[in-house]
Amino acid sequence: MCRPGGWLGKDSGVVSDRAVKVWAWIAAEHDGGAPVSMAAVCSAAARRLGVDGVSVMAVSDGLAREPLSASDEVSARLEELQFTTGEGPSADDFRLGAPVLVPDLESAAARWPGFVPEAVAAGARAMFAVPLQAGAIRVGVLTLYRALPGPLSAGDLADALVFADFALQLLLDASSGISGQAGYGLLNGLSDSQAAVYQATGMISVQLGVSLEEALVRLRAHAFADSAGIGQVASDVVARRLRFDPDAGADA
Amino acid sequence: MAATVDERLAQTFVELADTLVGGFDLMEFLHMLTERCVELLDLEAAGLLLADSRGTLQLVAASTEQARVVELFQIQSDEGPCLDAYRTGQPVIVPDLTASQATARWPMFTGAAREMGFAAVHAIPMRLRDQIIGTLNLFGSAPQGLDPAVARAAQALVDVATIGILQERATREHELVAGQLQVALNSRVIIEQAKGILAERMRVTPDQAFIVLRAYSRNHNHPLTQLAADVISGTTDLVAVSRAKPQPTARRKQADR
Repeated sequence: MCRPGGWLGKDSGVVSDRAVKVWAWIAAEHDGGAPVSMAAVCSAAARRLGVDGVSVMAVSDGLAREPLSASDEVSARLEELQFTTGEGPSADDFRLGAPVLVPDLESAAARWPGFVPEAVAAGARAMFAVPLQAGAIRVGVLTLYRALPGPLSAGDLADALVFADFALQLLLDASSGISGQAGYGLLNGLSDSQAAVYQATGMISVQLGVSLEEALVRLRAHAFADSAGIGQVASDVVARRLRFDPDAGADA
Repeated sequence: MAATVDERLAQTFVELADTLVGGFDLMEFLHMLTERCVELLDLEAAGLLLADSRGTLQLVAASTEQARVVELFQIQSDEGPCLDAYRTGQPVIVPDLTASQATARWPMFTGAAREMGFAAVHAIPMRLRDQIIGTLNLFGSAPQGLDPAVARAAQALVDVATIGILQERATREHELVAGQLQVALNSRVIIEQAKGILAERMRVTPDQAFIVLRAYSRNHNHPLTQLAADVISGTTDLVAVSRAKPQPTARRKQADR
């Protein structure tokens, strides 16, 4: 369904009804006027996905882990346990690049002998981890837990993937500083996954001599600064109408 | 052509089955599938759309640039036979894109498809039990219906594509299906990123970069997604390789036809 969706969505094609719905949930969670925060993403996800808590962990180079936000104390404790034991769904999720869904945590005791008993003692009986990723760019993990065992429904899982998309965008845009600015919104931008956006990301990484992650951050910041759609900026890069210059202070 | 559709289909299955063991790469498999569809079924082009878990259709493979354009246009304008096939779960056969029935139902799509040189389109849903996970779309350059033998063959190829997507492990749970689709679609993103890197380094278009990527993958038995990841990480330098002499084909030659 084509619809206008803020600066990133202007010409970036399809915004799914699901993305519109999830965005409305997140927007309802934070104070009007305040910049959208990771805390709002976590609390909206906890409230809407039929789970008891949600957390987001930033991971760089697969090693350094930094807890960004947790909707409650149990979630924060689970992140801490995964960090100290080096086990658990988030660690595996980051390695595999696919969601790790554990509807019955106790059945995974052999897989994570150090983590499971502690996690169960902390109050978790089911855990679901979704990667924050776009191709080779992997920046963290969204983790859900529930106090009772049981699978996530297909609808909740689909929503969780959209929450992870938004968390990824927020993480990228926080590093360029645009997420704190007026007029910033999250609707769409990455989940439409146009080929041009990813090709342009690769091209910009070579132009600037930076990682893909940094290139995507710069591409998004450029689109925001120009009030242009990210798809349009990406097409300009691919068609070589626009170059990102490493010597210029600002982008291109 | 001496061989019947069924005979050629059997041959293709052997070839595809070969790729399902050892060094399996889903993106390569799906690209090969669209190309074989075109050869086998005497068509102009083929494209494959997969639905992500968010409910949005994504283009995963297309045998020609024209097919790619039409597929992307269709997703963007939210109108076309492939979308209808996805939504209804039924094949949508359009023997003549100029027929008033077709132009009235998909005014934007029929125009775009004709502009790209297509005269007929057939869209076949990819079904996994009660779930539709995508569509295989066949394009013809002359008005043509879908012969029953060809329709059967196309359906068989669609089923193979579904198996390919799920082959990494047996799946019963919708959660695993969702995970596998996510991995498949993420592989596509990795390939696009690598295309961009190569395009910039070699001063070529992303499409030309893909040809280089794919040729290297085949000649060196280096699975496409892994190769793309290696280009991104810098482990494999295709720019240097492309300046060197072309390598002999390591893989078995495909049957001439």
